[in-house]
Amino acid sequence: MFSIDRRFLVNFDWVLLILLVMVCGMALVNLYSATFSLHIGIPLYIKQCYLLLMGGMGIVFVVSFDYKELQLWNYLIYMATIALLALVIFVGDSAKGAQRWINLGFFQLQPSELAKLMIIISLASYYARKEVVDGYRIKDLIVPIILMAIPFTLILIQPDLGTALMLVIIFISMTVFARLHWSSYLVLGVSGMIMVALGWMFVLKPYQKQRVETLLNPAQDASGSGYQILQSKIAVGSGGWFGRGYMEGTQGHLHFLPERHTDFAFAVWSEEWGFSGCLFFLAVYFFMLAWGLHVAMSARDRFGLFLAFGVVALIFWQAVINLLMILGFLPVVGVPLPLFSYGGSSLLTTLLGIGIMMNVRMRRFQSESTLKDSDG
Amino acid sequence: MSMLKWAFLEELGEISEYDQADLDALRKRILWVSLVGLFFVGMIFFRLWFLQIHKGEVYREKAENNRVRVRELAPPRGDILDRNGKELVTNKPSFNVVLVREDSNDIDGLLKKLSVVLNEDVSVLWERIREAESKQRHIPIRLQENLSWDTLAYLETHNKDFPGIRIEVFPTRYYHYGDMAAHVIGYLGEIAKSELEADDADFYRGGDLVGKMGLEKLWEKKLRGEKGRDSSEVNARGFEQQLLSHMEPVPGDEVRLTLDMELQQAAEEAMDVGEKSGAVVVMEVKTGRILVLASTPRLHLADFEGGISQANWKALQDNPKHPLINKAFQAMYPPGSTYKMVTALAGLATGVITKDTTFHCGGSIHFGNRDYHCWRKGGHGTVDLMRAISESCDVYFYQVGMKVGVDNLAKYANKLGLGLKTNALVEYEKAGIIPTREWKKKKYGVKWQDGETLSIAIGQGFNLVTPLQLCHMTAIIASGGKKYLPQLIEKVTNSEGQVTASFAPELLGELQDEEKKYLAMIREGMVEVVQGARGTARAARVPGITIAGKTGTAQVVRLEQYKHLKEENIPYKYRDHALFISFAPAEDPEIAIAVVVEHGLHGGSGAAPVAKVVMQKYFANRLAVDAIRKSVEQ
Repeated sequence: MFSIDRRFLVNFDWVLLILLVMVCGMALVNLYSATFSLHIGIPLYIKQCYLLLMGGMGIVFVVSFDYKELQLWNYLIYMATIALLALVIFVGDSAKGAQRWINLGFFQLQPSELAKLMIIISLASYYARKEVVDGYRIKDLIVPIILMAIPFTLILIQPDLGTALMLVIIFISMTVFARLHWSSYLVLGVSGMIMVALGWMFVLKPYQKQRVETLLNPAQDASGSGYQILQSKIAVGSGGWFGRGYMEGTQGHLHFLPERHTDFAFAVWSEEWGFSGCLFFLAVYFFMLAWGLHVAMSARDRFGLFLAFGVVALIFWQAVINLLMILGFLPVVGVPLPLFSYGGSSLLTTLLGIGIMMNVRMRRFQSESTLKDSDG
Repeated sequence: MSMLKWAFLEELGEISEYDQADLDALRKRILWVSLVGLFFVGMIFFRLWFLQIHKGEVYREKAENNRVRVRELAPPRGDILDRNGKELVTNKPSFNVVLVREDSNDIDGLLKKLSVVLNEDVSVLWERIREAESKQRHIPIRLQENLSWDTLAYLETHNKDFPGIRIEVFPTRYYHYGDMAAHVIGYLGEIAKSELEADDADFYRGGDLVGKMGLEKLWEKKLRGEKGRDSSEVNARGFEQQLLSHMEPVPGDEVRLTLDMELQQAAEEAMDVGEKSGAVVVMEVKTGRILVLASTPRLHLADFEGGISQANWKALQDNPKHPLINKAFQAMYPPGSTYKMVTALAGLATGVITKDTTFHCGGSIHFGNRDYHCWRKGGHGTVDLMRAISESCDVYFYQVGMKVGVDNLAKYANKLGLGLKTNALVEYEKAGIIPTREWKKKKYGVKWQDGETLSIAIGQGFNLVTPLQLCHMTAIIASGGKKYLPQLIEKVTNSEGQVTASFAPELLGELQDEEKKYLAMIREGMVEVVQGARGTARAARVPGITIAGKTGTAQVVRLEQYKHLKEENIPYKYRDHALFISFAPAEDPEIAIAVVVEHGLHGGSGAAPVAKVVMQKYFANRLAVDAIRKSVEQ
């Protein structure tokens, strides 16, 4: 399985790796500052190092086989993930009123994170196989909708609205990208709106509704949910051109900033490194995603293209939602900034996703015959 | 984007299998998709620029406000001393129990325990907390002020049993002479909302104590000092992390008064005999400095500490003796016979009379269509100026007044300081009323009646003066026509010992030489009032000192129904006011005194004895030295 020949090393995506190391490096530096005043067992930046090591091994594993295998194993991956999601409802560890984690002893596994990758693989697999001339009609979309709806429902039960919505966003991104017939837009648009309305009335918890309302009218609640957004804006804004200096951010270090090493990690970075630091980080980050699109374009087949596109979409939308939340444009929804926010499952999922992109990049010239060769 | 496009075109050729057209279409879509991505990225960059660069300063300030907590430190208020440096008002530490809600997790249980120690109802303590509900949880709430030593000691030794309870040391006023000079000193009270919104909004915070009356109010800006401040860094939960800066409070300036507290005390104690209501003002003739400024009944300053109760305030307002008014300059009285000094001066100065001019007093004089009576029903017979003053003959002054006219009387009243504010740095000073023809026309729209001039000439009618003005007039007469600005403050010294304001005696003006001669004649008459065999103020005599004076009895109402009654049987509020002005030693006057005893009936018996006590006190040392000298000579 680990028989990687010299050609793969030559074709290995060093650019993506360098960008990845840069992003993870900045994340680690930021984590050290953000958690400096937290006094708990093993420092989180040490844990993060272990996680990065695990993720690195995961990447090595993912690039070791042709991504085509994923299409073959798709059903198994799907069923296994669904099983984990079902399991978490019964044996999951709960925190903050939600059951999201399976305790593996050394690691708290969050199956909903894996579900994000799984849905990308499943949809890529479906759209790669099912080719249409003038866009997918609604009958063609029944299967992908069901594929998405099962994990979506399971995750919503936990409840983890943020992740559940991410599945929908990935679904929309990949489906629209795959090209729809105009009638499908109509049907999906109308039913989507009905779903949102029903969701607002029956599914959303009062605290979640309040977050949305707070965003629409922040002055209404300055000490509750509005407090978090306000403190985040203060942290970002007080950074100015060059920031307050590393380890000098008062908003983060004096605990004014909520969730400062997870969802609001970028606010700490903004405060300490200022506009210049943010420009640098975001330039690297978005260049990495642009490179991901480049990987998708250079894929040798539809499946590879959809895979890479799906991973880019996954990272991009999470990043955009997280950043807009930190910058006060979106409600507090609990979506991390991939690779930058502390969180084991999210980090591993993202690294595996990037591993898939590297895999697609590495095998962009490969024909089916060589696949068989390398397999043997 | 073009770079990406170029890269993919380069690789295009190498893809040989699969549906090339389909893949190409998807690749083109990626380019379009990246435009959507760019839109969001642009939005994020713009928002970052907006927050960090455009609004950066605003948020930097907000971050500082988040993290820095400023605690103000109350400065000790400036001391108030008398002319000899005797402490009148200083500060003493008040130990208060305060609760920091943040540090207590069982406020209910805590208050129950505390109510036993403080001997205070739990509901009262809860009320205090409720009043401060809106404040942040780290701000201490005062539960009880002025702890006794026993309570303080108990709380200090058992502090572990009272989490969240702290002892706060707060400077409060200490009055060394009790309520003596209470009206002059004034009191402190919690700052009013309107005051907070006024010019000094930066300095004051809600709950601050500010001067509400008297010197405490007038000299608030000097007495208050400068607040100190501790700036500490706090975390989001309000716990202090470190002290960033400390600024010591600057104590308020020390105000040294011209008052002589021993004399003030003597005067007030003399007023206390028989619970007299009224005022005593004593002034240095040669400087204008006020030695005594007493008003009775006194205010009980302790009642005002920490806010006066509604019941107490109402009682003060309803008290028929009006303790809230400083009668020395906020109350006006008819001058009565003390005004005859003015009439005499006007008569002499206008040439209507000379020292030797005589009038016949038959007990009354007929003018217009009514009789004007002298206080002595039998009359004084033939009276010259000297007798007129010493025996206070009304008929003599009716005649003089009639000839001089009301406007001339007013002119000389003004020259002697009546009818004008003294501007002695006192608050709400009344100017009094010295009527003229024009004044009456303006005020009532009616012509002046000549009969009214007769009443004016003996200090009745429209005439109204303050005790401070009477004293000022006496000082002008005693000094031979020198008009000094009455002063209450000698100097103000800041905490570093620098004098920030000092008040040297200020000569406002002098009477003309001619008039000065007439004043000498009047003084001669005033000596007779006290020292003469038939003087009306023989009760003010102090052996060894030549004292001059003039009694006055000011009619409150003229009611027929009380005429037949004995004086003691007239209801208190309809009795005449007793007035007495005096200066001594007559040979070279040093002090001038004005005493007004409300409803004291007669100047000679009601007011003069008070002046006597003050004289005795003032000249005590001199008299003692004289006595020793005498005994040595013998």
